[in-house]
Amino acid sequence: MTTTHIYDSDEPRRPLATEWSNIWGYRGLLKLLVSRDLTARYKRSTLGVWWTLLNPLFTMAVLWVVFGNFFRFEIPGDVPYVVYLLSGILLITFFSQGVVATGSSIVNSSGILSKVYVPAEVFSLAAAIAALVNFGISLMVLVGIQLVSGVGVPWTVVLVPIPAFCMLLLVAGIGLLVASAAVFFFDVLDLIQVLTQLISYLTPTFYPISIVPERFLPLIYANPLYSYLVVFRGFMYEGVFAPGWTFAYMIGTSIAVLALGVWVFTRSWKRLVVVL
Amino acid sequence: MTPAVSLSNVSLAYSLTRNRAGTLKEYAIDVMRRRVEKEVLWALDDVTLELHPGEVLGVIGANGAGKSTLMKVVARVLPPTKGRVVVRGVVAPMIELGAGFNMEMTAYENIVLYGTLLGRTPSEMRDQVGKIAEWAELTEFVDVPLRSYSSGMLARLGFAVATDTDPHVLVVDEVLSVGDASFQEKSKKRILDLIESGTAVLFVSHAMGAVLELADRVLWLDHGRSVMMGDSEEVISSYTEGLSTN
Repeated sequence: MTTTHIYDSDEPRRPLATEWSNIWGYRGLLKLLVSRDLTARYKRSTLGVWWTLLNPLFTMAVLWVVFGNFFRFEIPGDVPYVVYLLSGILLITFFSQGVVATGSSIVNSSGILSKVYVPAEVFSLAAAIAALVNFGISLMVLVGIQLVSGVGVPWTVVLVPIPAFCMLLLVAGIGLLVASAAVFFFDVLDLIQVLTQLISYLTPTFYPISIVPERFLPLIYANPLYSYLVVFRGFMYEGVFAPGWTFAYMIGTSIAVLALGVWVFTRSWKRLVVVL
Repeated sequence: MTPAVSLSNVSLAYSLTRNRAGTLKEYAIDVMRRRVEKEVLWALDDVTLELHPGEVLGVIGANGAGKSTLMKVVARVLPPTKGRVVVRGVVAPMIELGAGFNMEMTAYENIVLYGTLLGRTPSEMRDQVGKIAEWAELTEFVDVPLRSYSSGMLARLGFAVATDTDPHVLVVDEVLSVGDASFQEKSKKRILDLIESGTAVLFVSHAMGAVLELADRVLWLDHGRSVMMGDSEEVISSYTEGLSTN
């Protein structure tokens, strides 16, 4: 602790630059918080980290029974319904759990943030990264099913980190917006649970896009999650590159939403911290 | 000599919404009925002070006078609404010790986490665990989850981690009264050692005896305003006189 750093309240916060240097300076804390998020929740349970997998697997089982047996959707490509279904559920779970966890990160850490100076965005990013790690773990199950069912794993699977990283940015961006609002109004978190559920129904996770009536198609295409899912499925088991516009839409929305989230968070922080 | 802490005309406002809506639903209803009235409470009002290395500034005042807010402004938790705060060096905040503790994790993990929250690196903290636990007299319980700790043990642990660094500025609450008599003696000695080595201390207390003993100067706050600042004895006697006449 020999370096003398100077805190000057007049120094302006520069969106993104300030956040980035804060996060870099506290990267040790970030690592600790991610591993705490991943383990602390399960520490006193016998199943441990396996809880992470149970939620998407149960959802998959229910939807598989209903839509794989009762209704029987025709799925694009030559893959079992389970693979189509699980790939969709895992990505959507990453999104919705990530947004809720990131959105509640500031309120949940208010005890610390109102007593010790820590850049709050570190807590938000940690929650988003924990969701990413959970997603990574749950992909193992999908890989297992692909191997057992004979779908196999194409080489493009090494590119899955691209949509996963874009999703991380999207989750962090929306999460920061929610986190700012949740400090003022606690019920925003309940509202977000409903909204994420709504947007997940607007994403073809368990149904094929071919059953969507034409007048609703623009709604699906406008939904950013659709582009993430198309790119992800392409890399994960189809072994194809998604069309260029899908890629562009995915990358564009992830950067734009993150920038918006950081900007709003930075601007509102001063008013936010006094009510924590 | 450059001051370790300088506050120029610092004010801090809490904006209170009347019938403060806790939820979006209530707020929406209030907006529709045009019932949203903003009310501003100045927790600090135009406070100016300087604190030099090795100096102890005592802060006194009634409840709600802005003492805690002043601590949080110096600890850079709360950015000032108006005015300017400059702090040179590392600040060790000792406000409600152990606010960052996680009860499910062991003392070892908590020492690392809490130290990292205070701005140090995890690897640095892992090297310090033995020393910190020994000083807090908790070596044999270092692998026990904190939920089995007594409140006294928690306080000792919090104090030990927070004072393990060589901070340039120490912001101290009533924490000198944690633990039993011998631990209080020990923690007081640690604070005195830090002052000796040049740490500037902002000391907030209701115990006039302790303030008189430690502080070089005293600031008396009332409703966020600085009523009087200067020689400890003078300020304390005016303050206590003011109390008895009311």
